[in-house]
Amino acid sequence: MAPKTRQPAQSTASASSTSAPARSNKSSGSLDAQDIVQSVWSNYLKKTPQRVKLLDSFMAFLVVVGALQFLYCLIVGNFPFNAFLSGFSATVGQFVLTASLRIQTNPENKADFESISHERAFADFVLGSLLLHFFCINFIN
Amino acid sequence: MRWLLSLFLLGVAACVSALSVSGSRLLVVLEDEGEREKYGVFLGDLSDRGFHTTIQSPKSDKLSLFQHGERAYDHVIILPGKSKGLGPALTANQLLDFMKKEGNVLVTLSSDHATPTAVQSLLLELDISIPSDKGALVVDHFNYDSASAAEKHDVLLLPFPKALRPDVKNYFAGEGVIAVPRAVGQTLGNESPLIEPILRAPNTAYSYNPKDEADIVEDPFATGEQLTIVSAMQAHNSARLTVVGAAEILQNGWFAEKATLSGKAVKTANREFAKKVSQWTFKETGVLKVGKLLHYLDEGVSKKLNTSLSIPEHNPTIYRIKQDVAFQVEISEYSGDHLAPFIPASSDSVQLEFSMLSPFHRLNLTPISQTANSTIFGVSFKTPDQHGIFNFRINYRRPFLTNIDEKRQVTVRHFAHDEWPRSWQISGAWVWIGGIWVTIVGWVAFVAVWLYSAPTERSVKKTQ
Repeated sequence: MAPKTRQPAQSTASASSTSAPARSNKSSGSLDAQDIVQSVWSNYLKKTPQRVKLLDSFMAFLVVVGALQFLYCLIVGNFPFNAFLSGFSATVGQFVLTASLRIQTNPENKADFESISHERAFADFVLGSLLLHFFCINFIN
Repeated sequence: MRWLLSLFLLGVAACVSALSVSGSRLLVVLEDEGEREKYGVFLGDLSDRGFHTTIQSPKSDKLSLFQHGERAYDHVIILPGKSKGLGPALTANQLLDFMKKEGNVLVTLSSDHATPTAVQSLLLELDISIPSDKGALVVDHFNYDSASAAEKHDVLLLPFPKALRPDVKNYFAGEGVIAVPRAVGQTLGNESPLIEPILRAPNTAYSYNPKDEADIVEDPFATGEQLTIVSAMQAHNSARLTVVGAAEILQNGWFAEKATLSGKAVKTANREFAKKVSQWTFKETGVLKVGKLLHYLDEGVSKKLNTSLSIPEHNPTIYRIKQDVAFQVEISEYSGDHLAPFIPASSDSVQLEFSMLSPFHRLNLTPISQTANSTIFGVSFKTPDQHGIFNFRINYRRPFLTNIDEKRQVTVRHFAHDEWPRSWQISGAWVWIGGIWVTIVGWVAFVAVWLYSAPTERSVKKTQ
């Protein structure tokens, strides 16, 4: 997750936890941590725009796919090494491209990217992704 | 054109008449014309084998090994004489130059005569040592001829030499005994791979100077099998030099003489031995010839080597790494008067090197077929996983055989981009192919959802 979205969530969480510090001290630490996670999660669900959520879920999906490929490489070996490189770097590259789209389209960064419209950012993203897929398929032969 | 052809045929006929592959002009260096009769049978045998003999005294003004910078003779025999020098035409350097131009030399020594300084320094150059004092000879108290040397024990009766090693062919085998009268023994240096003994002295022999007054020989020059009576040297250019320790071996008087070896009457077979030694020295035996080489891409269809000389070699110049390549070579051995199929000694084999600086493959060649006058050796192998400029090389150097060093250069290239197996042909890559397509499909789905969700985003923005 990008830190920019987490910051408001954390600030609200800390605000809520300061309201009841005594209770957290009495109860077990794990429950407190659970509380924090839960409040962060609910804050995220509440405050994040729908498109950013979509981006986040796509990035999570890419992380899972990449991790699975890397795990397979660790267990079975890297025999067609170009295949491993292209398969793994497809997910990594897609993750990077998606992250940049997320930075550019996040409403919280509007001040930094005023000159770039969301449509322009998305077009860049699509072009970059197509290039990436083209290279990966070529490289895997 | 016709006269050119007839000239060529004449040249061919001249070559055919000589039995040696390197030519028929033979120079015999003999100081005393009166001694010629002593070597009459030996020289007659040489003439019968097709050599054109010129007998010259070392003192003669006309004597020269070279004419217009080329060899004037193909072979030289140096027979012992009374004088200590061989004159200005036969210095050690000139004899070595003669060998550098692939001339063959047969040097004979004798304990009756002092060894000429030119011969001494020539042998020293080749790492063959002889006793420095005049008159030193080889005696043996067990293998002597009791008919002619009952007292002095200086006429040795030896069997024909056996093969030097199991993997070396024997060119000096024969039946009977060799009489070795009053020989000058030689010792061979350990360093040089070019010198080999032909006839060794027996275990019980030793070298000694009869002029020494002492009853006991102290500190002999050499004993037993250290002593060689006939030794051979073959240079890198296959020029040959043979040292015969006793010139009397070649004399008529010992060619078929009755002798007595430990009570038994035997007949000497020196004529046979002299023939074998001179045949080897003058390149009538032990000469290898490489015919054609064939190498080709082995695609399951074996090709046959066409041995016809009218068709030039037509071999590929480029291969790829990890390709199956078949190699064939034709090797003949010249024996006496014709080319015969070459058969290596039982525990020896000709080897092929596939080398770039150092060999990547060194493989035994196996005989796959024979023609009337050659053996065709072959081997198949896979080119190494290394691209570059490679040589098919046969480097075959064995005692008593002329050296073979044949090379054929080829390029070995790497895989072309379309020669690699496609990714889906390798099952190990399926997971990663799947990874790519899952990513792409996920991306397409994401783009679709993104575009579909665009209006709601705008409405959210508006509400904000």
